[in-house]
Amino acid sequence: MNKNAIDNIIALSSELRWKIGDDFHDGLAEGIYADASEIANASISTDNEKKRFRLDSKIDKIVTSKTWGFPIMFLILGMILWLTILGANYPSSMLASLLLDNIHPALKSFATTIGAPWWLDGFLIDGVYLAVAWVIAVMLPPMAIFFPMFTLLEDFGYLPRVAFNLDYMFKKSGAHGKQALTMSMGFGCNAAGVVATRIIDSPRERLIAIITNNFSLCNGRWPTQILIATIFIGAVVPASFSAFASLFAVIGIAVLGIFFMFFTSWALTKTVLKGEVSTFNLELPPYRPPRFWKTIYTSIIDRTLIVLWRAILFAAPAGAVIWLISNIYIGNESVATWTINSLDGFGFLLGMNGVILLAYIVAIPANEIVIPTILMLTVMATGIVGGVGTGVMFELDSVNATGDILRAGGWTLLTAVNLMLFSLLHNPCSTTIYTIYKETKSAKWTTVASVLPLIMGFVITFLVAQIWRLVF
Amino acid sequence: MENKVSSACETCSQFNAKGLKKLGVNTDNFDFVVALAGNPNTGKSTVFNALTGLRQHTGNWPGKTVVRAEGAFEYNSQKFKLLDLPGTYSLLSTSQDEEIARNFILFGKPDVTVIVVDTSRLERNLNLVLQILEITDKAILCLNFMDEAKRGNIKIDVRTLARDLGIPVVPTSARYSEGIPDLIHTINEVATGKIICRPHQIKNVPKNIEVAVKKLSSEIKKQFPSIPNSRWIAFRLLEGDTHIIDALKTGELV
Amino acid sequence: MNTYNPIYALLIFFAISFFGYLLFRPRKGWFWLIKNNLKSNEKIVIEDVLKQLYHSENSGKEVNVNSLTSALKFGDSIVVDAIKKMAINDLVQFDGDVLKLTNSGRDYALRIVRVHRLWEKYLAEKTGYDKTQWHEMAESKEHELSHEETNLLATKLGNPMYDPHGDPIPTNTGKIADVTGEFLSSLAVNAVGKIVHIEDEPDVIYKQILAENIHIGSQIRVVENNKKRVVFYAEGEEFKLAPIVAANITVAVLEKDEVIEENIVRLSSLKENEVAHILGISKESRGDNRRRLLDLGFVKGTEISIDLVSPMKNPIAYLVKGASIALRKDQASKILIKKD
Repeated sequence: MNKNAIDNIIALSSELRWKIGDDFHDGLAEGIYADASEIANASISTDNEKKRFRLDSKIDKIVTSKTWGFPIMFLILGMILWLTILGANYPSSMLASLLLDNIHPALKSFATTIGAPWWLDGFLIDGVYLAVAWVIAVMLPPMAIFFPMFTLLEDFGYLPRVAFNLDYMFKKSGAHGKQALTMSMGFGCNAAGVVATRIIDSPRERLIAIITNNFSLCNGRWPTQILIATIFIGAVVPASFSAFASLFAVIGIAVLGIFFMFFTSWALTKTVLKGEVSTFNLELPPYRPPRFWKTIYTSIIDRTLIVLWRAILFAAPAGAVIWLISNIYIGNESVATWTINSLDGFGFLLGMNGVILLAYIVAIPANEIVIPTILMLTVMATGIVGGVGTGVMFELDSVNATGDILRAGGWTLLTAVNLMLFSLLHNPCSTTIYTIYKETKSAKWTTVASVLPLIMGFVITFLVAQIWRLVF
Repeated sequence: MENKVSSACETCSQFNAKGLKKLGVNTDNFDFVVALAGNPNTGKSTVFNALTGLRQHTGNWPGKTVVRAEGAFEYNSQKFKLLDLPGTYSLLSTSQDEEIARNFILFGKPDVTVIVVDTSRLERNLNLVLQILEITDKAILCLNFMDEAKRGNIKIDVRTLARDLGIPVVPTSARYSEGIPDLIHTINEVATGKIICRPHQIKNVPKNIEVAVKKLSSEIKKQFPSIPNSRWIAFRLLEGDTHIIDALKTGELV
Repeated sequence: MNTYNPIYALLIFFAISFFGYLLFRPRKGWFWLIKNNLKSNEKIVIEDVLKQLYHSENSGKEVNVNSLTSALKFGDSIVVDAIKKMAINDLVQFDGDVLKLTNSGRDYALRIVRVHRLWEKYLAEKTGYDKTQWHEMAESKEHELSHEETNLLATKLGNPMYDPHGDPIPTNTGKIADVTGEFLSSLAVNAVGKIVHIEDEPDVIYKQILAENIHIGSQIRVVENNKKRVVFYAEGEEFKLAPIVAANITVAVLEKDEVIEENIVRLSSLKENEVAHILGISKESRGDNRRRLLDLGFVKGTEISIDLVSPMKNPIAYLVKGASIALRKDQASKILIKKD
């Protein structure tokens, strides 16, 4: 094409635009709407009753009212979480006994019969298979309960009302009301929570929601919290209060997470994110009766299985790594032992130990395998009797027996408290990191989202450890 | 022009039910490209699912589809590839969603653009419809959520609407698969050129802008006689859309 | 581990944190200071001198070397050296004691002003920076953009005529729109006008104006003007300012026969069960925020009423063109309506 002619067109456009002035966009938008309104008036006729349906506005008046708005919301969200955690217990233990107690030995004996070399069946069955089985057993049931329930609420149209009710609180920390929902989603799974931030159409608030989603305790971390709280925190109070005390501790950690979420959101708006564009608008759609089975089907296919699949993809190599570092020797020490010894000093400063830190390094792919890995590494590092073999993750049915192993590994109440804190405040799992990268397409924000909580975890556990040691 | 007043008429002679095959994600060797555009939360994804037989997640919540989704169906042995564009309120602004939608309709040159609107919020939705009609002349208006509109006592004169917009209008309730056969039939008619659209052009543009747009678009037409939507290009140039400037330079628009 | 003591550990930790704070604290951190120092070179001094001269000449003030050195933040000798160099390069000339811009100096100054104002416009339209930060950021950016970059920026912004404070932006050929108006402090009682400019320097006064929530582009009516205070109505609210503050606001007086819309109020003052029509969106609503409001149908003539109030009274959902759309209070205060 004639380059000169194009330049002329562009120059002409610049000149014309300057003459029109700064109201160009407004004028155009108003003009289009004027046409829209003419066309609409010509073809729409409404009965002169209220345009919004009566039932809708009745529901709205109640769920956003001063008296009932918040109680209804907390009741519904609390119910969903409670049903998820409680309801997932049974299918989880069934899956665990099937995959870990039945299929795993069967695979082992099959490997022995066909005479597979020890390293091959160790690598594949004790490493890869176990990690994958663990992730499925811990992750699948809660997600299969949580996501459909959440999706039903979403399809009904209730969730925008939650965002509407809570926006004021989120606005104070520079965030969007819809972050309440992505945060709730994070209680199920952080990766799903990050995907859910698509509903936030303001760039700054969306980044905030992505970066702070990790402060929602995801279902891979709930079991860790509950187990450690039961063993250590329940033990310091009289037996009759122990259940209450450990429950209180776990809820405390979750609430602390919400506090950190608000604090970090605020700090991000004031610093690195202050230049990002920030807008707000929230459309309250009409209520629509959800199509029950369709919703259940799509939420399981779309959310649960996709997230699970990603988790498995990451967990499989992690299992292999765990087995390898325990079975590859440099001199007299396995790689694992060597790493634990070198991390011990740093771990001590943080009120934890090398085993925990190593477990968190190899468990970056999935928080679900932290406890089995810790148990395996503790047995290996201390040389006590227990476990099922080097590099083989395991878990014990009895909470007391688990506690005995951990105490033999030198654990105190401080270790337990700091592990709970560190479980809340550390880098997101690799599935989430990958999802953050896919959603933001930015290495910078992915790094911030990954490193920021880790630094906070180091600082908090460090401070707690020093003050604890000063006081006790 | 043909008007579609009746809904779901799977039995009527026009619709060839046997000629329909939902092809899911199999989008190879298509004959026509169909784009689905519309405001957020107008049930675009539901229409998409109803046409392709796929089950993409749809939520009662603006902004579910951000990346565009693809699917296909076959009707009368013609293959249609379907693209679900992100839902936007407008095509005039700068957000990423709008850019994806705007660029696809302009540069992707779909054979048919189906604009899905929420019937109860027609006026608000027309804002986007009128903008799309400035870009493309092969469009269909899909009046979705007819069931809800009926519940709210909203009556639409489909004939008048089709005449004013200059494109076929098809009422549907995609959640209950009502009106979908009619929509498929109309897509086919527009794609094969049996229905010729004469889309509405925005009239109420302020005078100073209209004068500038006329001047600029006639200049564009002089240089690029084959550009069908010179008025839209003029709007975008005045807006300062650097993407359009680059496209003019590379000849992508011709 | 023998030497470990929690107190030492804490002390070392706080020492490191404190050092990090000194290095990286916003603006005054050593890291930033060093970084900025590396940038401050002759070009910046020359351009700042040109700008200072340009603004002084425009307001009819005479400038000599002394007044110039005291107005600029650089060391005296640096400024004097720069002026010498500028005189050699035919950017400035001496008229006795008075320093004046040559034609080429004026062109150069105009270019700097153009970049500064364009950048402020850019920050207002395309980023989320707070308006208190625009000026300072533009102060450093004006020395960085090349001619081509500036023109590209202008195209992207649609060749704007005014910057967000109401100052005209010179075009690349040096054309400049004019601002006619009087200072708010000099208006007579009952005068009606439109705010066309809010001066962003000095910072203290600018922040006071912002704190009052006064919006550029709004129509005002003066009800009291004396040595103590200026009182005026705008958009249904009453504002009281000290005369020295009011002097930083420029108002274009509207003639009696021009159409004056009465009873303009802000959407934030709408009550439940009231119905109103939208008159427009305030100039204070910018960039994506403004566009999104327009997209959603907040355009002139649209009927609007309250649909729902959230438990904390903010946000409020409004019924617009059949849809229920929640807006925050600060957004609602930038939409102008007329109650029915």
